Amino acid sequence: MVKMKASVEARNLTIYYGKQVALSDVTFQLGASETLLLLGPNGAGKTTLLRTIAGFHTQYTGELLIFGKKPEEAKELVSYVPQSHSLNENVPLTALEVVAMGAIYKRGLIHRKIPPEIEERALKVLSFVGLENVANKLFRNLSGGQKQRVLLARALVSDPKLLLLDEPLSALDPSARAEVTSVLDRIKKKKNIAMIITTHDINPLLEIGDKVMLINRRMIAFGKPDEALTDEIIKSVYGPMARAIKVEERLYCITGDFHIHVRRDRK
Amino acid sequence: MLRAILASITISVLLGLLSPLINMKGLAFLTHALFHALLFGAVLGMILGLVFNNLSLVMAVATLITVLIVLTIAELERLGFSSDSAVGIVASFVAGLTVLGFGVLYKLMAGRPYFPLTENVVSYLTGELFLITRENLLTLTGLGFAILLVLLLFYRDFLYISFDMEGVESYGGRARFYLVLLYVLVGLVGSLIVQSVGLVTLQVVAVLPGAIGLMVSDNLKKVVLTSLLVTLTVQLSSVIIAYFTSIPPSGIATIILGIVYGILLVRK
Repeated sequence: MVKMKASVEARNLTIYYGKQVALSDVTFQLGASETLLLLGPNGAGKTTLLRTIAGFHTQYTGELLIFGKKPEEAKELVSYVPQSHSLNENVPLTALEVVAMGAIYKRGLIHRKIPPEIEERALKVLSFVGLENVANKLFRNLSGGQKQRVLLARALVSDPKLLLLDEPLSALDPSARAEVTSVLDRIKKKKNIAMIITTHDINPLLEIGDKVMLINRRMIAFGKPDEALTDEIIKSVYGPMARAIKVEERLYCITGDFHIHVRRDRK
Repeated sequence: MLRAILASITISVLLGLLSPLINMKGLAFLTHALFHALLFGAVLGMILGLVFNNLSLVMAVATLITVLIVLTIAELERLGFSSDSAVGIVASFVAGLTVLGFGVLYKLMAGRPYFPLTENVVSYLTGELFLITRENLLTLTGLGFAILLVLLLFYRDFLYISFDMEGVESYGGRARFYLVLLYVLVGLVGSLIVQSVGLVTLQVVAVLPGAIGLMVSDNLKKVVLTSLLVTLTVQLSSVIIAYFTSIPPSGIATIILGIVYGILLVRK
Protein backbone atom coordinates (compact mmCIF):
# COMPACT_ATOMS: atom_id res chain seq x y z
CA MET A 1 0.00 0.00 0.00
CA VAL A 2 1.35 3.44 -0.96
CA LYS A 3 1.53 5.78 2.00
CA MET A 4 -0.17 9.11 1.24
CA LYS A 5 2.10 12.09 1.81
CA ALA A 6 0.98 14.40 4.62
CA SER A 7 -0.20 17.85 3.55
CA VAL A 8 1.44 19.48 6.55
CA GLU A 9 4.04 18.09 8.91
CA ALA A 10 5.29 20.19 11.81
CA ARG A 11 7.83 19.02 14.34
CA ASN A 12 8.80 21.17 17.34
CA LEU A 13 7.84 24.24 15.36
CA THR A 14 8.48 27.52 17.15
CA ILE A 15 7.64 30.78 15.39
CA TYR A 16 9.26 34.11 16.18
CA TYR A 17 8.64 37.78 15.53
CA GLY A 18 12.12 39.21 15.94
CA LYS A 19 13.39 37.72 19.19
CA GLN A 20 9.91 37.25 20.60
CA VAL A 21 8.32 33.81 20.50
CA ALA A 22 4.87 34.02 18.91
CA LEU A 23 4.01 30.33 19.06
CA SER A 24 6.01 27.40 20.43
CA ASP A 25 6.22 23.63 20.37
CA VAL A 26 3.79 22.85 17.60
CA THR A 27 3.92 19.25 16.42
CA PHE A 28 1.26 17.76 14.19
CA GLN A 29 0.61 15.96 10.95
CA LEU A 30 -2.34 16.55 8.63
CA GLY A 31 -3.44 14.10 5.92
CA ALA A 32 -3.67 15.07 2.25
CA SER A 33 -7.42 15.50 2.31
CA GLU A 34 -8.04 16.26 5.96
CA THR A 35 -9.52 19.44 7.39
CA LEU A 36 -7.99 21.01 10.49
CA LEU A 37 -9.84 23.57 12.59
CA LEU A 38 -7.35 25.87 14.29
CA LEU A 39 -8.76 27.33 17.48
CA GLY A 40 -7.60 29.71 20.15
CA PRO A 41 -8.39 33.07 21.72
CA ASN A 42 -7.38 36.38 20.12
CA GLY A 43 -3.60 36.71 19.91
CA ALA A 44 -3.08 32.96 20.37
CA GLY A 45 -1.00 32.70 17.18
CA LYS A 46 -3.58 31.25 14.77
CA THR A 47 -2.92 33.68 11.92
CA THR A 48 0.83 33.48 12.59
CA LEU A 49 0.77 29.70 12.15
CA LEU A 50 -1.34 30.01 9.02
CA ARG A 51 0.96 32.63 7.49
CA THR A 52 4.01 30.52 8.31
CA ILE A 53 2.49 27.50 6.59
CA ALA A 54 1.63 29.78 3.63
CA GLY A 55 5.29 30.80 3.39
CA PHE A 56 4.72 34.47 4.22
CA HIS A 57 6.52 34.29 7.55
CA THR A 58 9.89 32.57 7.62
CA GLN A 59 11.20 33.17 11.14
CA TYR A 60 10.85 29.77 12.74
CA THR A 61 12.83 26.89 14.15
CA GLY A 62 11.94 23.20 14.03
CA GLU A 63 10.64 21.43 10.98
CA LEU A 64 7.75 22.46 8.76
CA LEU A 65 7.00 20.60 5.55
CA ILE A 66 4.15 21.13 3.09
CA PHE A 67 3.71 18.00 0.97
CA GLY A 68 7.32 17.22 1.83
CA LYS A 69 8.65 20.65 0.79
CA LYS A 70 9.62 23.79 2.66
CA PRO A 71 6.75 26.33 2.76
CA GLU A 72 8.51 28.79 0.42
CA GLU A 73 9.02 25.97 -2.12
CA ALA A 74 5.43 24.76 -1.87
CA LYS A 75 3.62 28.01 -2.67
CA GLU A 76 2.17 26.54 -5.88
CA LEU A 77 0.36 23.90 -3.85
CA VAL A 78 -1.10 26.29 -1.32
CA SER A 79 -3.85 28.91 -1.50
CA TYR A 80 -4.31 31.40 1.29
CA VAL A 81 -7.63 33.09 1.92
CA PRO A 82 -7.10 36.23 4.04
CA GLN A 83 -9.71 37.87 6.22
CA SER A 84 -11.85 39.84 3.79
CA HIS A 85 -11.44 43.10 5.73
CA SER A 86 -7.72 43.07 4.92
CA LEU A 87 -8.50 43.81 1.26
CA ASN A 88 -8.54 47.31 -0.23
CA GLU A 89 -12.05 47.67 -1.59
CA ASN A 90 -11.32 51.13 -3.00
CA VAL A 91 -10.06 49.27 -6.06
CA PRO A 92 -13.11 48.72 -8.25
CA LEU A 93 -12.49 45.11 -9.30
CA THR A 94 -15.31 42.80 -10.39
CA ALA A 95 -15.83 39.39 -8.77
CA LEU A 96 -14.46 37.78 -11.96
CA GLU A 97 -11.31 39.89 -11.87
CA VAL A 98 -10.75 38.99 -8.21
CA VAL A 99 -11.09 35.27 -8.96
CA ALA A 100 -8.82 35.50 -12.03
CA MET A 101 -6.14 36.94 -9.78
CA GLY A 102 -5.73 33.44 -8.30
CA ALA A 103 -4.61 31.97 -11.63
CA ILE A 104 -3.13 34.84 -13.61
CA TYR A 105 0.20 34.87 -11.76
CA LYS A 106 1.09 31.31 -12.67
CA ARG A 107 2.70 32.70 -15.82
CA GLY A 108 4.42 35.82 -17.07
CA LEU A 109 5.28 39.15 -15.55
CA ILE A 110 2.84 41.40 -17.42
CA HIS A 111 -0.90 40.76 -17.17
CA ARG A 112 -2.57 43.47 -19.20
CA LYS A 113 -5.64 41.35 -19.92
CA ILE A 114 -7.20 38.28 -18.35
CA PRO A 115 -6.60 35.40 -20.83
CA PRO A 116 -9.85 33.76 -22.06
CA GLU A 117 -8.95 30.34 -20.60
CA ILE A 118 -8.42 31.87 -17.16
CA GLU A 119 -11.69 33.76 -17.51
CA GLU A 120 -13.39 30.46 -18.33
CA ARG A 121 -11.86 28.76 -15.29
CA ALA A 122 -12.81 31.69 -13.10
CA LEU A 123 -16.43 31.46 -14.26
CA LYS A 124 -16.46 27.72 -13.60
CA VAL A 125 -15.17 28.10 -10.08
CA LEU A 126 -17.57 30.99 -9.42
CA SER A 127 -20.32 28.61 -10.42
CA PHE A 128 -18.90 26.01 -7.98
CA VAL A 129 -19.34 28.47 -5.12
CA GLY A 130 -22.81 29.41 -6.41
CA LEU A 131 -21.94 32.88 -7.66
CA GLU A 132 -21.96 32.67 -11.45
CA ASN A 133 -24.58 35.44 -11.53
CA VAL A 134 -22.35 38.04 -9.84
CA ALA A 135 -19.26 37.60 -12.05
CA ASN A 136 -19.44 41.15 -13.40
CA LYS A 137 -20.54 42.83 -10.20
CA LEU A 138 -18.06 44.89 -8.23
CA PHE A 139 -16.49 42.95 -5.37
CA ARG A 140 -17.09 45.80 -2.94
CA ASN A 141 -20.83 45.79 -3.70
CA LEU A 142 -21.27 42.13 -2.74
CA SER A 143 -22.59 40.94 0.61
CA GLY A 144 -20.16 39.66 3.25
CA GLY A 145 -20.99 36.02 2.50
CA GLN A 146 -20.63 36.57 -1.25
CA LYS A 147 -17.26 38.27 -0.78
CA GLN A 148 -16.02 35.33 1.27
CA ARG A 149 -17.23 32.91 -1.43
CA VAL A 150 -15.47 34.96 -4.14
CA LEU A 151 -12.27 34.71 -2.10
CA LEU A 152 -12.79 30.95 -1.83
CA ALA A 153 -13.26 30.83 -5.60
CA ARG A 154 -10.04 32.82 -6.05
CA ALA A 155 -8.23 30.31 -3.86
CA LEU A 156 -9.66 27.35 -5.76
CA VAL A 157 -9.05 28.58 -9.30
CA SER A 158 -5.41 27.52 -9.21
CA ASP A 159 -6.31 23.95 -8.09
CA PRO A 160 -4.40 24.02 -4.79
CA LYS A 161 -3.70 20.95 -2.68
CA LEU A 162 -3.89 22.86 0.58
CA LEU A 163 -6.32 25.64 1.39
CA LEU A 164 -5.57 27.99 4.28
CA LEU A 165 -8.52 30.04 5.51
CA ASP A 166 -8.16 32.85 8.03
CA GLU A 167 -11.41 33.38 9.93
CA PRO A 168 -13.74 32.70 6.99
CA LEU A 169 -16.82 33.16 9.18
CA SER A 170 -15.82 36.32 11.01
CA ALA A 171 -18.10 39.36 10.78
CA LEU A 172 -20.77 37.39 8.91
CA ASP A 173 -24.43 37.20 9.86
CA PRO A 174 -25.91 33.73 10.52
CA SER A 175 -27.27 33.24 7.00
CA ALA A 176 -23.97 34.30 5.40
CA ARG A 177 -22.16 31.96 7.79
CA ALA A 178 -24.39 29.13 6.64
CA GLU A 179 -23.66 29.99 2.96
CA VAL A 180 -19.91 29.91 3.52
CA THR A 181 -20.06 26.76 5.67
CA SER A 182 -22.01 24.99 2.95
CA VAL A 183 -19.36 25.95 0.34
CA LEU A 184 -16.59 24.69 2.65
CA ASP A 185 -18.51 21.45 3.03
CA ARG A 186 -18.79 21.18 -0.78
CA ILE A 187 -15.05 21.79 -1.17
CA LYS A 188 -14.33 19.04 1.34
CA LYS A 189 -16.60 16.56 -0.40
CA LYS A 190 -15.75 17.32 -4.03
CA LYS A 191 -12.21 18.68 -4.17
CA ASN A 192 -10.35 16.16 -2.03
CA ILE A 193 -7.88 18.72 -0.72
CA ALA A 194 -6.52 19.58 2.73
CA MET A 195 -7.83 22.63 4.55
CA ILE A 196 -6.71 24.53 7.63
CA ILE A 197 -9.35 26.90 8.95
CA THR A 198 -8.83 29.34 11.80
CA THR A 199 -12.04 30.24 13.54
CA HIS A 200 -13.62 31.65 16.65
CA ASP A 201 -16.93 30.12 15.69
CA ILE A 202 -16.16 26.44 15.88
CA ASN A 203 -19.62 24.90 16.12
CA PRO A 204 -20.78 25.44 12.52
CA LEU A 205 -17.49 23.98 11.28
CA LEU A 206 -17.24 20.94 13.57
CA GLU A 207 -19.08 18.89 10.95
CA ILE A 208 -16.28 19.30 8.41
CA GLY A 209 -13.29 19.25 10.78
CA ASP A 210 -11.42 15.96 10.82
CA LYS A 211 -8.95 17.34 13.34
CA VAL A 212 -8.86 20.29 15.70
CA MET A 213 -5.92 22.08 17.23
CA LEU A 214 -6.14 24.38 20.22
CA ILE A 215 -3.36 26.88 20.60
CA ASN A 216 -2.60 29.72 22.96
CA ARG A 217 0.98 30.79 22.25
CA ARG A 218 1.77 27.06 22.29
CA MET A 219 0.01 23.94 21.13
CA ILE A 220 -2.42 22.80 23.82
CA ALA A 221 -4.30 20.02 22.09
CA PHE A 222 -4.46 18.29 18.72
CA GLY A 223 -6.60 15.41 17.57
CA LYS A 224 -10.10 14.40 16.51
CA PRO A 225 -12.70 16.90 17.78
CA ASP A 226 -14.30 14.47 20.26
CA GLU A 227 -10.92 13.61 21.74
CA ALA A 228 -9.19 16.99 21.71
CA LEU A 229 -12.02 19.27 22.76
CA THR A 230 -12.50 18.11 26.32
CA ASP A 231 -14.21 20.27 28.91
CA GLU A 232 -10.93 20.63 30.78
CA ILE A 233 -8.95 21.80 27.75
CA ILE A 234 -11.64 24.24 26.63
CA LYS A 235 -11.69 25.78 30.13
CA SER A 236 -7.89 26.03 30.20
CA VAL A 237 -7.92 28.11 27.02
CA TYR A 238 -11.14 30.13 27.23
CA GLY A 239 -11.62 30.41 31.02
CA PRO A 240 -13.78 28.71 33.63
CA MET A 241 -17.09 29.71 31.99
CA ALA A 242 -16.25 27.84 28.78
CA ARG A 243 -17.66 24.38 28.29
CA ALA A 244 -17.63 21.48 25.87
CA ILE A 245 -21.00 19.75 25.89
CA LYS A 246 -22.58 16.92 23.95
CA VAL A 247 -26.15 17.08 22.74
CA GLU A 248 -27.44 13.89 21.10
CA GLU A 249 -23.86 12.67 20.63
CA ARG A 250 -22.86 15.89 18.88
CA LEU A 251 -20.15 18.06 20.41
CA TYR A 252 -20.71 21.77 21.03
CA CYS A 253 -18.28 24.28 22.48
CA ILE A 254 -19.52 27.21 24.51
CA THR A 255 -17.16 30.10 25.14
CA GLY A 256 -17.64 33.86 25.13
CA ASP A 257 -16.95 33.87 21.39
CA PHE A 258 -18.88 30.79 20.34
CA HIS A 259 -22.48 30.33 19.31
CA ILE A 260 -24.41 27.12 19.15
CA HIS A 261 -25.75 26.08 15.77
CA VAL A 262 -28.07 23.11 15.71
CA ARG A 263 -27.62 20.95 12.65
CA ARG A 264 -30.31 21.33 10.04
CA ASP A 265 -31.10 17.61 10.00
CA ARG A 266 -31.78 17.52 13.75
CA LYS A 267 -35.31 18.10 14.79
CA MET B 1 1.88 78.80 -26.24
CA LEU B 2 1.95 75.73 -28.52
CA ARG B 3 4.75 74.18 -26.46
CA ALA B 4 2.76 74.86 -23.28
CA ILE B 5 -0.30 73.15 -24.76
CA LEU B 6 1.69 70.12 -25.95
CA ALA B 7 3.33 69.84 -22.52
CA SER B 8 -0.08 70.11 -20.86
CA ILE B 9 -1.45 67.27 -22.97
CA THR B 10 1.51 65.01 -22.09
CA ILE B 11 1.23 65.88 -18.39
CA SER B 12 -2.52 65.28 -18.45
CA VAL B 13 -2.19 61.81 -19.97
CA LEU B 14 0.45 60.79 -17.43
CA LEU B 15 -1.34 62.22 -14.40
CA GLY B 16 -4.76 61.15 -15.63
CA LEU B 17 -3.66 57.51 -15.68
CA LEU B 18 -1.47 57.60 -12.60
CA SER B 19 -3.79 59.58 -10.33
CA PRO B 20 -6.45 56.82 -9.85
CA LEU B 21 -3.64 54.40 -8.89
CA ILE B 22 -2.21 56.93 -6.42
CA ASN B 23 -5.65 57.11 -4.79
CA MET B 24 -6.44 53.40 -4.89
CA LYS B 25 -3.04 52.32 -3.55
CA GLY B 26 -3.11 55.09 -0.96
CA LEU B 27 0.04 56.80 -2.20
CA ALA B 28 -1.01 60.39 -1.46
CA PHE B 29 1.53 60.46 1.35
CA LEU B 30 4.19 59.19 -1.07
CA THR B 31 3.53 62.20 -3.29
CA HIS B 32 4.24 64.30 -0.20
CA ALA B 33 7.63 62.56 0.07
CA LEU B 34 8.05 63.28 -3.60
CA PHE B 35 7.81 66.99 -2.82
CA HIS B 36 10.76 66.70 -0.43
CA ALA B 37 12.70 64.39 -2.75
CA LEU B 38 12.31 66.67 -5.76
CA LEU B 39 13.17 69.79 -3.80
CA PHE B 40 16.27 68.18 -2.33
CA GLY B 41 17.20 66.80 -5.77
CA ALA B 42 16.71 70.20 -7.35
CA VAL B 43 18.79 71.98 -4.70
CA LEU B 44 21.57 69.41 -5.03
CA GLY B 45 21.31 69.64 -8.82
CA MET B 46 21.56 73.43 -8.66
CA ILE B 47 24.62 73.25 -6.40
CA LEU B 48 26.28 70.83 -8.83
CA GLY B 49 25.03 72.89 -11.77
CA LEU B 50 26.69 75.96 -10.30
CA VAL B 51 29.90 74.16 -9.44
CA PHE B 52 30.19 72.56 -12.87
CA ASN B 53 28.58 75.45 -14.72
CA ASN B 54 25.98 73.15 -16.27
CA LEU B 55 22.33 73.76 -15.37
CA SER B 56 21.08 70.74 -17.30
CA LEU B 57 22.36 68.73 -14.34
CA VAL B 58 19.40 69.93 -12.28
CA MET B 59 16.80 67.63 -13.83
CA ALA B 60 19.11 64.61 -14.01
CA VAL B 61 20.16 64.95 -10.37
CA ALA B 62 16.59 65.61 -9.21
CA THR B 63 15.37 62.49 -11.05
CA LEU B 64 18.16 60.32 -9.68
CA ILE B 65 17.65 61.55 -6.11
CA THR B 66 13.87 61.10 -6.37
CA VAL B 67 14.18 57.54 -7.64
CA LEU B 68 16.70 56.72 -4.90
CA ILE B 69 14.36 58.17 -2.28
CA VAL B 70 11.27 56.25 -3.45
CA LEU B 71 13.38 53.07 -3.57
CA THR B 72 14.46 53.75 0.03
CA ILE B 73 10.81 54.12 1.03
CA ALA B 74 9.94 50.83 -0.73
CA GLU B 75 12.85 49.11 1.04
CA LEU B 76 11.75 50.43 4.44
CA GLU B 77 8.28 49.04 3.74
CA ARG B 78 9.84 45.69 2.86
CA LEU B 79 11.62 45.73 6.21
CA GLY B 80 8.25 45.99 7.92
CA PHE B 81 7.66 49.73 8.34
CA SER B 82 4.16 50.89 7.47
CA SER B 83 3.91 53.01 4.34
CA ASP B 84 3.19 56.15 6.39
CA SER B 85 6.10 55.54 8.76
CA ALA B 86 8.51 54.88 5.88
CA VAL B 87 7.47 58.12 4.15
CA GLY B 88 7.62 60.03 7.45
CA ILE B 89 11.13 58.83 8.27
CA VAL B 90 12.53 59.52 4.80
CA ALA B 91 10.69 62.83 4.30
CA SER B 92 11.91 64.30 7.60
CA PHE B 93 15.50 63.24 6.89
CA VAL B 94 15.36 64.63 3.35
CA ALA B 95 13.72 67.88 4.56
CA GLY B 96 16.68 68.42 6.89
CA LEU B 97 19.14 67.79 4.06
CA THR B 98 17.22 70.22 1.83
CA VAL B 99 17.57 73.04 4.37
CA LEU B 100 21.30 72.31 4.64
CA GLY B 101 21.46 72.24 0.82
CA PHE B 102 19.77 75.65 0.60
CA GLY B 103 22.43 77.03 2.96
CA VAL B 104 25.18 75.79 0.64
CA LEU B 105 23.29 77.02 -2.43
CA TYR B 106 22.83 80.55 -1.03
CA LYS B 107 26.55 80.75 -0.23
CA LEU B 108 27.44 79.65 -3.76
CA MET B 109 24.94 82.08 -5.29
CA ALA B 110 26.23 84.95 -3.17
CA GLY B 111 29.77 84.27 -4.28
CA ARG B 112 28.80 83.88 -7.89
CA PRO B 113 25.52 85.65 -8.76
CA TYR B 114 23.78 83.66 -11.46
CA PHE B 115 20.46 85.09 -12.58
CA PRO B 116 19.07 82.12 -14.63
CA LEU B 117 19.57 79.88 -11.58
CA THR B 118 17.28 82.10 -9.53
CA GLU B 119 14.64 81.70 -12.24
CA ASN B 120 15.16 77.97 -12.05
CA VAL B 121 14.49 77.88 -8.29
CA VAL B 122 11.25 79.78 -8.77
CA SER B 123 10.15 77.59 -11.70
CA TYR B 124 10.67 74.53 -9.53
CA LEU B 125 8.34 75.86 -6.87
CA THR B 126 5.48 77.26 -8.95
CA GLY B 127 6.03 75.65 -12.34
CA GLU B 128 6.66 77.59 -15.51
CA LEU B 129 4.78 76.00 -18.35
CA PHE B 130 5.35 78.96 -20.66
CA LEU B 131 9.12 78.83 -20.19
CA ILE B 132 9.39 75.25 -21.36
CA THR B 133 12.09 74.92 -24.01
CA ARG B 134 11.97 72.77 -27.14
CA GLU B 135 14.50 70.39 -25.55
CA ASN B 136 12.47 70.19 -22.36
CA LEU B 137 9.36 69.41 -24.38
CA LEU B 138 11.15 66.66 -26.29
CA THR B 139 12.38 65.12 -23.04
CA LEU B 140 8.92 65.40 -21.50
CA THR B 141 7.12 63.77 -24.42
CA GLY B 142 9.81 61.12 -25.10
CA LEU B 143 10.19 59.98 -21.51
CA GLY B 144 6.48 60.52 -20.92
CA PHE B 145 5.66 58.12 -23.75
CA ALA B 146 8.01 55.47 -22.31
CA ILE B 147 6.47 55.85 -18.84
CA LEU B 148 2.99 55.70 -20.33
CA LEU B 149 3.83 52.43 -22.07
CA VAL B 150 5.07 50.82 -18.84
CA LEU B 151 2.07 52.18 -16.96
CA LEU B 152 -0.35 50.66 -19.47
CA LEU B 153 1.45 47.31 -19.59
CA PHE B 154 1.39 46.87 -15.81
CA TYR B 155 -1.87 48.65 -15.01
CA ARG B 156 -3.72 45.45 -14.02
CA ASP B 157 -0.81 44.31 -11.87
CA PHE B 158 -0.81 47.69 -10.14
CA LEU B 159 -4.54 47.32 -9.51
CA TYR B 160 -4.07 43.85 -8.08
CA ILE B 161 -1.30 44.90 -5.67
CA SER B 162 -3.48 47.82 -4.61
CA PHE B 163 -6.34 45.40 -3.91
CA ASP B 164 -4.38 42.65 -2.16
CA MET B 165 -0.59 42.80 -2.16
CA GLU B 166 -0.25 39.60 -0.15
CA GLY B 167 -2.69 37.84 -2.46
CA VAL B 168 -0.55 38.65 -5.50
CA GLU B 169 2.47 37.26 -3.67
CA SER B 170 0.70 34.13 -2.50
CA TYR B 171 -0.54 33.33 -6.01
CA GLY B 172 2.98 33.52 -7.42
CA GLY B 173 3.09 37.18 -8.52
CA ARG B 174 6.15 39.36 -7.99
CA ALA B 175 4.30 41.78 -5.75
CA ARG B 176 7.43 43.55 -4.51
CA PHE B 177 8.60 44.16 -8.09
CA TYR B 178 5.24 45.69 -9.05
CA LEU B 179 5.24 47.91 -5.95
CA VAL B 180 8.78 49.17 -6.56
CA LEU B 181 7.97 49.75 -10.23
CA LEU B 182 4.88 51.76 -9.31
CA TYR B 183 6.88 53.85 -6.82
CA VAL B 184 9.60 54.48 -9.40
CA LEU B 185 6.99 55.51 -11.99
CA VAL B 186 5.42 57.95 -9.51
CA GLY B 187 8.90 59.35 -8.82
CA LEU B 188 9.79 59.61 -12.51
CA VAL B 189 6.52 61.29 -13.44
CA GLY B 190 7.02 63.74 -10.58
CA SER B 191 10.51 64.69 -11.65
CA LEU B 192 9.48 64.88 -15.31
CA ILE B 193 6.59 67.28 -14.79
CA VAL B 194 7.76 69.28 -11.79
CA GLN B 195 9.16 72.17 -13.80
CA SER B 196 5.84 72.50 -15.59
CA VAL B 197 3.35 72.01 -12.76
CA GLY B 198 5.50 73.21 -9.85
CA LEU B 199 6.48 71.59 -6.56
CA VAL B 200 3.91 73.49 -4.53
CA THR B 201 0.99 72.15 -6.54
CA LEU B 202 2.37 68.74 -7.55
CA GLN B 203 0.59 66.80 -4.81
CA VAL B 204 -2.78 68.35 -5.67
CA VAL B 205 -2.61 67.67 -9.40
CA ALA B 206 -1.37 64.13 -8.72
CA VAL B 207 -4.11 63.23 -6.24
CA LEU B 208 -7.30 65.15 -7.05
CA PRO B 209 -8.08 63.95 -10.62
CA GLY B 210 -8.10 60.33 -9.47
CA ALA B 211 -10.09 61.21 -6.36
CA ILE B 212 -12.66 62.95 -8.57
CA GLY B 213 -12.78 59.92 -10.91
CA LEU B 214 -13.36 57.57 -7.98
CA MET B 215 -16.06 59.85 -6.66
CA VAL B 216 -18.09 59.97 -9.87
CA SER B 217 -17.94 56.31 -10.88
CA ASP B 218 -17.61 52.74 -9.66
CA ASN B 219 -16.46 51.47 -13.03
CA LEU B 220 -12.68 51.35 -13.46
CA LYS B 221 -12.70 52.44 -17.12
CA LYS B 222 -14.93 55.40 -16.27
CA VAL B 223 -12.75 56.29 -13.28
CA VAL B 224 -9.62 56.42 -15.48
CA LEU B 225 -11.47 58.23 -18.28
CA THR B 226 -12.86 60.82 -15.85
CA SER B 227 -9.42 61.34 -14.35
CA LEU B 228 -7.94 61.81 -17.85
CA LEU B 229 -10.67 64.21 -18.95
CA VAL B 230 -10.51 66.23 -15.73
CA THR B 231 -6.72 66.56 -15.94
CA LEU B 232 -6.81 67.44 -19.63
CA THR B 233 -9.60 70.00 -19.26
CA VAL B 234 -8.09 71.62 -16.18
CA GLN B 235 -4.54 71.73 -17.59
CA LEU B 236 -5.59 73.16 -20.96
CA SER B 237 -8.02 75.70 -19.53
CA SER B 238 -5.44 76.84 -16.98
CA VAL B 239 -2.91 77.37 -19.79
CA ILE B 240 -5.41 79.47 -21.73
CA ILE B 241 -6.48 81.50 -18.66
CA ALA B 242 -2.85 81.96 -17.63
CA TYR B 243 -1.97 83.16 -21.15
CA PHE B 244 -4.42 86.04 -20.84
CA THR B 245 -4.04 86.82 -17.13
CA SER B 246 -0.31 86.19 -16.53
CA ILE B 247 -1.14 84.12 -13.45
CA PRO B 248 0.95 80.91 -13.17
CA PRO B 249 -1.13 78.08 -14.76
CA SER B 250 -0.29 75.64 -11.96
CA GLY B 251 -2.07 77.91 -9.46
CA ILE B 252 -5.15 78.14 -11.68
CA ALA B 253 -5.19 74.35 -12.23
CA THR B 254 -4.99 73.69 -8.50
CA ILE B 255 -7.80 76.12 -7.70
CA ILE B 256 -10.08 74.65 -10.40
CA LEU B 257 -9.37 71.10 -9.19
CA GLY B 258 -10.05 72.12 -5.61
CA ILE B 259 -13.36 73.74 -6.58
CA VAL B 260 -14.50 70.71 -8.63
CA TYR B 261 -13.56 68.29 -5.84
CA GLY B 262 -15.20 70.53 -3.21
CA ILE B 263 -18.46 70.74 -5.20
CA LEU B 264 -18.54 66.96 -5.65
CA LEU B 265 -17.82 66.45 -1.96
CA VAL B 266 -20.63 68.80 -0.92
CA ARG B 267 -23.08 67.20 -3.37
CA LYS B 268 -22.21 63.76 -2.02
